[in-house]
Amino acid sequence: MHSLQFSVPLLPTSRFKRHSVRCASDRQQLFNRIAPVYDNLNDLLSLGQHRIWKRMAVSWSGAKTGDSLLDLCCGSGDLTFLMSEKAGVDGKVIGLDFSKEQLSIASSRQYLLSKACYNNIEWVEGDALDLPFSNGYFDAITMGYGLRNVVDKRRAMQEMFRVLKPGSRVSILDFNKSMQPFTALFQMPLTIKSFSFGKEWMIDNVVVPTATVYGLAKEYQYLKTSIDEFLTGKELEKLALDAGFSYARHYEIGGGLMGNLVAAR
Amino acid sequence: MVRLSKWLLKEAGTGVNKTLSDILVCPLSKQALRVCEEPPSLISDSIGVSFPIKDGIPCLVPTDGKILDTDDTMKHDNAADDSVNNK
Repeated sequence: MHSLQFSVPLLPTSRFKRHSVRCASDRQQLFNRIAPVYDNLNDLLSLGQHRIWKRMAVSWSGAKTGDSLLDLCCGSGDLTFLMSEKAGVDGKVIGLDFSKEQLSIASSRQYLLSKACYNNIEWVEGDALDLPFSNGYFDAITMGYGLRNVVDKRRAMQEMFRVLKPGSRVSILDFNKSMQPFTALFQMPLTIKSFSFGKEWMIDNVVVPTATVYGLAKEYQYLKTSIDEFLTGKELEKLALDAGFSYARHYEIGGGLMGNLVAAR
Repeated sequence: MVRLSKWLLKEAGTGVNKTLSDILVCPLSKQALRVCEEPPSLISDSIGVSFPIKDGIPCLVPTDGKILDTDDTMKHDNAADDSVNNK
């Protein structure tokens, strides 16, 4: 089994009860709590790969110079900053999230990173299910690791459709819930295969113990539940088409560990 | 220097810039919002709700909104920071 080197003790997962993170308020509080370590854990747990996946998501969105762009569930702003670079000084980017703590970190990063084009970013605390924007405003939308966490995915898709200009795209990056994990296994190179096969093992034996060091074990156990309850690529395509999008395609990336839904209005 | 000033103004919570206030609408009615300087907030006259602006960031989650009294549509009381929510 592919092993990562960690200098933290492995703790038995049975020690912690599974916490049901059902309602939006619970999830909002969860993301507020993990905000201080969110970026570091993303880097650690994906071995820095998340940066590549996010660049791919932005490319798929079709964002370009001068555009008005929206990054939903922006968190600490990784995708927002990439969108900002695409839009340039004549464009505009809104980073929206329902976690005030994540937005505070994003705002601080904006100031510290000191790139001229980042002045085109505005942060808004808002709800992906009730977007504070008028119809047909944005040239492109990105959403990274957000759709899995909204309590009403259908409504989120409908709101994204509403605020998009005709002909524009939404690019939604998230974990991939594979329909046929065992079939896919045999087609992958050994290193990636062991990593993907061990997704659940990884969460139980690497992700949660690492998060435990920061006192966030329950919060990262939520990750496993949310992936289990997420939709497959085909189901996501159908969700987008049902919401009114004229085109929807789900791409598997990161050896099948991640997926990116691209939908056009 | 301009960027620093803008950042400091936002941190002081004196409100959002004009571009942003033009883009944003009420999350519930999708109608235009009116900027209030003191306390910094965005008013949705269509539904009689005020949304706070904290550290320069507009808070437009529906549960962040505070219902305005009918006598109070043009000014706000001292408890404007309290929000109507189900926490």
